[in-house]
Amino acid sequence: MIGHLVVRNALHRPVRTAITVIAVAIEVTLVIIVVGLTSGLVLDVAKRTEGIGADIMVQPPSASVFMAFSGAPMPITIGTKLAQLEYVQAVSPVLVQFNSVNGLDLVYGIQPDTFRQVSSGFVVLSGTELQDPNDILVDDVYARSRKIKVGQMLHVLEHDFHVAGIIEHGKGARLFVLISTLQEMSGARDKASIFFLKCDRSDHTAAAMDEVRELLPRYEIRPLKDYMSQITSSSLPGLDIFINVMIGIAVGIGFLVTFLSMYTTIIERTREIGVLKSLGASKPYIVEIILSETSLLCVGGVAAGVGFSYLMRVILIKVWPSLSILITLKWICLAGAIAMVGGLLGAGYPAWLASRKDPVEALAYE
Amino acid sequence: MLAPGAGLEPILKTENLWKVYRTGKVEVPALSGVSIEVMPGEFVSIMGPSGCGKSTLLHVIGGLAQATSGRVLIDGNDLTQMSDAERTLLRRHKIGFVFQRFNLLPTIDAYHNIAIAQHIHGNGFDPHRFETVAALLGLKERLRHKPSELSGGEQQRVAIARAIISEPKILLADEPTGNLDTKTSEAVLGLLRQLNKDLGQTIVMITHNPDAAAYGNRVLHMRDGMVVNGAAH
Repeated sequence: MIGHLVVRNALHRPVRTAITVIAVAIEVTLVIIVVGLTSGLVLDVAKRTEGIGADIMVQPPSASVFMAFSGAPMPITIGTKLAQLEYVQAVSPVLVQFNSVNGLDLVYGIQPDTFRQVSSGFVVLSGTELQDPNDILVDDVYARSRKIKVGQMLHVLEHDFHVAGIIEHGKGARLFVLISTLQEMSGARDKASIFFLKCDRSDHTAAAMDEVRELLPRYEIRPLKDYMSQITSSSLPGLDIFINVMIGIAVGIGFLVTFLSMYTTIIERTREIGVLKSLGASKPYIVEIILSETSLLCVGGVAAGVGFSYLMRVILIKVWPSLSILITLKWICLAGAIAMVGGLLGAGYPAWLASRKDPVEALAYE
Repeated sequence: MLAPGAGLEPILKTENLWKVYRTGKVEVPALSGVSIEVMPGEFVSIMGPSGCGKSTLLHVIGGLAQATSGRVLIDGNDLTQMSDAERTLLRRHKIGFVFQRFNLLPTIDAYHNIAIAQHIHGNGFDPHRFETVAALLGLKERLRHKPSELSGGEQQRVAIARAIISEPKILLADEPTGNLDTKTSEAVLGLLRQLNKDLGQTIVMITHNPDAAAYGNRVLHMRDGMVVNGAAH
């Protein structure tokens, strides 16, 4: 009976219902897309790092797991010492720079030979590998998003590069130049940000890590197998706070919209509340009606929000193909729960007010 | 022939009932020591001019408002000693209301307007009782219409059906024909009389219309918050 009444009430004011549902949908979409973007970004970087194919990653002491924040403090001669370790088959130094002009991208400065030994090489889709100091390789995702072709010039890190080739994505960064060129550009001659190591056998990785720790006791030594599982949003400073703030804003939106919607609803339905009370409806009964209607609107908003999120993902990826937006069932459920809690909290005060209305005054309300 | 309720306890009894409204320092007595009795099966009309306190009396009797002093006994239960929740419970099980403005829920049809009373009552939907009441009030063909699609008379019949569906001890009618034309008023009043005669429904009806009041088998007159005289047919 209450279900029928609630549905009919919602349909009686279609504009109000639609606006409330859309507001809740926006709230849900905000949470899903923000978390999806941040998670997608983080996991995309991790996936591509793992995709290099190396076994171990060596970084300077207290370095961030995100290479974008690495800097270049390690002498490249460390690579020679690492190559002499018993279980280490190949070592490749990489200089990492963060390009913030015309986008946000990592640029790897590599030694093509050693990088090939560690990563099994690039899959070149068109053009050639790096040959000239001003050559740059771009991955296919980057090329597609910027409509880049082999042979054209590309302005990166305040330098004009010649696009030598387009490679298959998934090997660390999307942009690759010669390490010597990057060292010259960044004033980090003979320096590297990371050393990628390939072991002679994959089951020697732990032993190799022990060797490296003995050689470089304070350095960050990370296995790249299951690298993705090591990366979480808490790995990036401030990201958790950012996500929590966005969730807080979303809850605030849902709370306020539901509060306003239900508050105006109970004002409009004052006489009906009086009628229900004259029939003997208790305070909990009145509260149940208001909260049931709120729940219905929130459920509608959550469903719409999930739909909007998937649609938004399609649109964003179409416009920026290099974006990665991860929508998971966990966060769909969490976003839904957040919307429901925000909505029910917002409706709480109006529901309480409605239950306490004086029936005589309510029945006389015009 | 015995009068209705003869030899039984009153279904409704008020003793020196006062209701005083306070607005700042001003006190306005709406009821001034009203003492009445209504026996089971009676149809009592309470008549008086506007502002005489008859609506206030109905609200206090029905537990919608609390008396300032005095006692109200419904089927032996003293409303004046009850909390709001207890009065709500009593109202749910023992009292039915019919209002001048029908007061149907506009978003649901006649069927659900009646059924919601059973739902609130808490004993579940009784299809046999529902069919009986709908047939008695001539509503079978109109149940799937919303209030906006019903005439005034039909709306009031739906309101009456809603009021009696859970077999209340007493039906309180507040100017039930106030918004109806003469012919429809007669039809509705006739229905109330039929409910009283055929089902033994106890009815207390307030009205300012002497013709309407005459449908009851006893008329009480009110003025300035007091019952000034009463009569039995």
